[in-house]
Amino acid sequence: MKILHVKDFFESMNKDFALSVITDPKTLNNSIQEGYIHRPGLALAGYLEHYTYKRIQVLGETEITYMQTLSPELLYDRIREMFEFSIPLFIVTKGLSVPQQMEYLANEMNIAIISSRLSTDHLISGLTRYLRDYFAPQKSLHGTLVEVFGIGILITGKSGIGKSECALDLLERGHRMVTDDIVRVTLTGDKLIGSSVNDIGYFMEIRGVGVIDVERMYGIHAVRQKTVIDTQVELLLWQDNIDYERIGLTNNYVDMLGVNLPIVYLPVSPGKNISVIVEVVALNHILKNYGYEAAEVYQRKLQDIIQKKTRENSISKL
Amino acid sequence: MTKKKIIVKNRLGLHARPCALLVKTASRYRSDLIIKKDNIEVNGKSIMGVMMLAAEFGSELQLVANGVDEDYLINEIEELFESKFGED
Repeated sequence: MKILHVKDFFESMNKDFALSVITDPKTLNNSIQEGYIHRPGLALAGYLEHYTYKRIQVLGETEITYMQTLSPELLYDRIREMFEFSIPLFIVTKGLSVPQQMEYLANEMNIAIISSRLSTDHLISGLTRYLRDYFAPQKSLHGTLVEVFGIGILITGKSGIGKSECALDLLERGHRMVTDDIVRVTLTGDKLIGSSVNDIGYFMEIRGVGVIDVERMYGIHAVRQKTVIDTQVELLLWQDNIDYERIGLTNNYVDMLGVNLPIVYLPVSPGKNISVIVEVVALNHILKNYGYEAAEVYQRKLQDIIQKKTRENSISKL
Repeated sequence: MTKKKIIVKNRLGLHARPCALLVKTASRYRSDLIIKKDNIEVNGKSIMGVMMLAAEFGSELQLVANGVDEDYLINEIEELFESKFGED
């Protein structure tokens, strides 16, 4: 389970969200375990059943002014009851300040309070996006990610089968590379986003040559930081006794982070030009997106011809 | 060389699926397979070729196999036609 340290959150987002820390710096050691936001209006009113205290609690003008209507004793008790739950973080919007009791208790009970100068709406929409991306399901896998005619293609296959060489060939043809060897896949909404696992740059290893810098060699237009993964191409060593897809009437899928990712199993033999086939996979994917399935159209036409002949035969027999 | 005349027995004829089955089966053998219909001759291991025949129900095909395992090849292809490619 991924966790987000309040400190890391503050350090990476304090510019974007215009943050400043209200409580003692040691409270920043708390960690956030849920990627959602809660507005604790009901908790402030004393209702603590089903309180989603593990989430970031956002206090807007409404909550702050509500607290001001309570008597100091009542406010103290309410906040104390609320803070019995180990809440990781409060964010107060519009640069508002929190009541003194709240700040005092937060320091006592180790709950972080951060202030943001953004309006509640802006903060919530920004924060939701940030948390969704941060807590998004992720995995990294062995493969090469390229973008061909705007279609993100994840090339996989055993070591040495020619993934990098294929990517290189695609670069020569004007396509783009995202990452070679290790691909990080992040589920964003219902889309798989592929990127590099680090910011080291666009290097790849070509057997016999060594490490090359793709960005330097082919220019900035040849690389992309990330791309949606539309389809996977698995390179397989050609074996005579394996049934490879011949017509394309059945579409194959693999499960990737719960998404059905189309996959093409591509037999590879020496001297075969894989990059051209990867281009074809991309173009065929585009056609399928536009609702044109070549295999089905061909199949229909073939059936029409066969049926016509069958009819003619039965007529001539009469 | 083994030759065999064969009749298409499934009602839908040799459309895409049966063709794929035929070609996959033939490709497992080392022998060459030629399929003839109405003076058209195609390679039995080439799917586009076999589909191009558009062999309809009741039509006659001639199989010509050539190689070390030609008899087995012809037998298995014949069985496919007999079983109507699992259709009907």
